[in-house]
Amino acid sequence: MKHSPVRTLVAGLIVGLLTVLSPAFAKDKPTLHIFTWADYVKPELVAAFEKAHDCTVVIDTYDSNEAMYAKLKAGATGYDLLFPSSYMVKVMYDQGMLQELDHAKLPNLVHVDPDYLKKALDAKMGHSVPYMLTNTGIGYLKSKVKDFQPTWAMFDRADLAGRVTMLNDMREAFGAALKSLGYSINTTDPKQLEAARDVLIRWKKNLAKFENEQYKTGLASGEFLMVQGYSGDIQQAMEDNKDIGFVVPKEGTSISCDDMVIPKTATNVDLATAFINDMLDPKVSAENIDFIGYIAPNKDAYPLISEDLRNDPNIFLPPALSAKCEIIGDIGESLKLYTKLWDEVKAAK
Amino acid sequence: MKHSRLPLVTTLLVLIFFYLPIFVLVANSFNASRFSSSWDGFTFKWYGLLWHNRDIWQAVRNTLVIGLSATATAMVLGTTGALALHRYRSRLQAAHYGLLWMPLVVPDILMGMSMLLFFVAIGRQLGLVTVLIAHVTFCISYVAMVVLARLQDFDDAILEAAQDLGADWWTITWRILVPLLAPGIIAGGLLAFTLSIDDYVVTFFVAGTGSTTLPLQIYSMIKHSKQLPVINALSTLLLVVTFAAVYVSKHLLKESTPS
Repeated sequence: MKHSPVRTLVAGLIVGLLTVLSPAFAKDKPTLHIFTWADYVKPELVAAFEKAHDCTVVIDTYDSNEAMYAKLKAGATGYDLLFPSSYMVKVMYDQGMLQELDHAKLPNLVHVDPDYLKKALDAKMGHSVPYMLTNTGIGYLKSKVKDFQPTWAMFDRADLAGRVTMLNDMREAFGAALKSLGYSINTTDPKQLEAARDVLIRWKKNLAKFENEQYKTGLASGEFLMVQGYSGDIQQAMEDNKDIGFVVPKEGTSISCDDMVIPKTATNVDLATAFINDMLDPKVSAENIDFIGYIAPNKDAYPLISEDLRNDPNIFLPPALSAKCEIIGDIGESLKLYTKLWDEVKAAK
Repeated sequence: MKHSRLPLVTTLLVLIFFYLPIFVLVANSFNASRFSSSWDGFTFKWYGLLWHNRDIWQAVRNTLVIGLSATATAMVLGTTGALALHRYRSRLQAAHYGLLWMPLVVPDILMGMSMLLFFVAIGRQLGLVTVLIAHVTFCISYVAMVVLARLQDFDDAILEAAQDLGADWWTITWRILVPLLAPGIIAGGLLAFTLSIDDYVVTFFVAGTGSTTLPLQIYSMIKHSKQLPVINALSTLLLVVTFAAVYVSKHLLKESTPS
């Protein structure tokens, strides 16, 4: 009989489908839908939240702010809580996509670090609460880079040519160049920007490439000697290669933060608010810091994290240096100029 | 007569090109080093972390549910579509072929975005079902193309002979058409299944709450996750399962052939 294998296959497929699909219909508890980066909240903490609030938490993931934004802007709904970066929060808020937060239901807001809030784009936490932040800085191999100085001018060092990378991110690359000249990373002055472009073109001669992901691997393996990168990422690479050092240059740098926000289309606002409040608990916050390797701006969590991390002057910046650091903000109409100058940097030989 | 060494060398190079990355991946799933830049010793820790990572297993389940259902649906619709195109001529024949070709040539990004806009316009909540519909859309074309190719060498006289002998359409379909087209249908189905499992761009746009698939999960993990190598462990397990499935099915086929 020749047709039997086909029938068996079809029957097998149907049975298999029913088995895997069946649990998907078990929905009686309230559900909180979170849209975030993968592995961004410690799973045990999510499980504890589910238990405490007798609900189900469903986590979906995106891989860039822009992709998430495009999707929601097109009309995708169903998400109760998002974790975009600050600059994207501003864009979404300005377009009326986010809800105001109910501070009465967020008693844990008192734990948020006031020093960070001074810099934050939404300092009153009206529609966003900071979750995790990271400093941009320089990661390097201590044994290979001779006479290392904590300054952005290191990218001028011709002896490292070809073994250096910078972030493939317009705002981060310009941020470093602007800071090296003593300007604000959020400047909209065309003269300052053109000067920064010239610095970037000069640095580019020494660069292997502009790189956002692989630099961690490259630094850990010794392929790259020096990289511009995020403290959280380089912290991870350090666990693999003890020779790696990380500094925040003395001219200051950019700080990026991912915030927790509730979109207007959320259906389960109470649970989302409760989840934000839960994440702000100092103990929960400290566990998340340990899990992900980034820093949550939560002053009462600081005493609970490991001493090494707490005493690292490149993670918890000394006040003088911290004063020179800025959050990457919205540049409005100047975006066109930035993009044009960035294209010129990219095209330069 | 002296044989040329060229074919042998080419074959070896192609095999290395195909399989070396897979070996590296398998080896790295046992590597204690997170960035797999150096060998830091043998470990099972990624498998342990994988076991406890419920987001990944949820993503695996979503991927399999969507992959299997999309493949099954596309195999039925694609085959019937190919049969219709092959047997009946209409004035819109060219247009019908065009429609079938369309998903093969339209860029994924366009397809994903337009489907998202469509689902939003009709007020359909995004989720597993919308991903399934999107996947079926592009899978149909692949199945239909493979089956159409198979139909090119199909001798229609067999069908006429069967009808002469009194077979009804049901019998003809299940005793003649399906068995003869089976290799094409199954090949098309396998192609559709791999495409569905892989798909990132279209899936991203039409996925809703609770429908994150494995590719979405992996891309997102690259950004922040400290556990990226669990993907190596998962891929190794998938590889083992695939080989086991192929081995078992070969075994079963061998046993059923002599009867």
